Amino acid sequence: MGRRKSGSASGLAALFILCIVSLALFTVYVKEGDCSEHGCGPLHTVQLGAAEVLRPVRGVFAAAAGPFEGAWGAAEDVVQRGDEERLRREALKNKELAAQASRLQQENQRLLELLDGQRPSYEYGPLAHVIAPVGDQFTNRVVIDVGSADGVQPEKPVIFGNNTLVGRTTEVSRHTAEVMLVTDQMFAAGVRIVPPAEFDLPSGELSTESADGGSYGEGMLRTGWEEYLGVEYVDLSSEVEKGDFVVTSGRAGEYELLFPPGLFVGTVESVSSEDIDQFKKIVVTPAVEPQDLEEVRVITDW
Amino acid sequence: MTRHSISRAALVVAVAALLEAVLSPYLTFGGISPKLAVIGVVFAVSGLRDLQAVLLGFFGGVVFDALGGGLGLFGVGALGGLLAGILSARVGTVPRKGTEVFLLAQVVAVAVAARDLIGLAAINLSGLRGPPLGEFLVTGVLPDALLNALLAYAVGGWLLEFVRGKGGT
Repeated sequence: MGRRKSGSASGLAALFILCIVSLALFTVYVKEGDCSEHGCGPLHTVQLGAAEVLRPVRGVFAAAAGPFEGAWGAAEDVVQRGDEERLRREALKNKELAAQASRLQQENQRLLELLDGQRPSYEYGPLAHVIAPVGDQFTNRVVIDVGSADGVQPEKPVIFGNNTLVGRTTEVSRHTAEVMLVTDQMFAAGVRIVPPAEFDLPSGELSTESADGGSYGEGMLRTGWEEYLGVEYVDLSSEVEKGDFVVTSGRAGEYELLFPPGLFVGTVESVSSEDIDQFKKIVVTPAVEPQDLEEVRVITDW
Repeated sequence: MTRHSISRAALVVAVAALLEAVLSPYLTFGGISPKLAVIGVVFAVSGLRDLQAVLLGFFGGVVFDALGGGLGLFGVGALGGLLAGILSARVGTVPRKGTEVFLLAQVVAVAVAARDLIGLAAINLSGLRGPPLGEFLVTGVLPDALLNALLAYAVGGWLLEFVRGKGGT
């Protein structure tokens, strides 16, 4: 009896001590900040190391559907025999190869277009492939296959195509980087809302009036907990209409923001306001759905 | 009282943490995601002493944090694992017949709710913007706890058998 009591007491003592340790870990982790300013702290380093180790595992899970199909085909090969069957399978295989060649050609064309659209004054990381999503219900992030070895650093914009902002890097290891997508509830960016006629989508250039601010809306892009992407703090007097483009503003007064100006984020889906509101309620349709992302690039300097 | 193999329990906890860190992003629907690490801890430590349960729960949580699972905020998984461990160990001392999995599934529900709330507190404490508490309780914590309890009930029997091994009763 006494032994059980002492066991419970030691368990509770351990619980208390480890609770303190957990809180200490949390405090140290938050105090470390991200890896952008003073390098990575020990806890971030542990996570980055784990991300490197897990990279192949995540890749395996991301590509899980492919091997299943291959295994199914191989199983069929074992079961089915005969010349006719073999010829039929060879014909099928040739068709698959032709389809694959066509896919590769299209991909090649797309990559060439990407390179053509680069802004001359910007520096880009190499083309990155999305390895896998990470996080849980509080986050919306992916891991890409470029890292510090490719010149990528934390807090850099990540784009799709030539000019479409999809997120920013958070933690960067040697060969991978975590990207916080624009639809992550912790993502924020200063944006400007401009009519489509005022913005050249391929080049990301704003017309003179829009670049000076004009009477168009400015605010902060965020995804609310109601799960929609929106622009907050847009003045009630601003001119905003459905279909307008949402682009990064790059600056707020004297301050330079995290993103260069003119990166396209999405289009205005709806605009509303009520008498008691201080600001307009603006819902934005993102230009790219996170699940459609395959290749992205990091802007490393501008 | 049934005793579990500590090495098997540690294996279950580690594998569950790894699986959650890798698989959870694919299986997240709104405010709900499978909390495999919590389920693993609860079923693995239910037959252990308090001290062992607490240590294993902490171990599972730290592994989960190190792998960048969940929020990626270090300490959140550790605290969640600790709570899951002590709750499971305490429930493990209650005599029961044939209702063990059901009882532990309820522990999973409580532990998942606790970890969700710890996550919310961590978000706010780290200076990020969290959802309103009331809304999160209804649309996040409650369904998350219920569905994870159901998942735990579905796989719990198998997990218990594995942790007990051949010598278990």
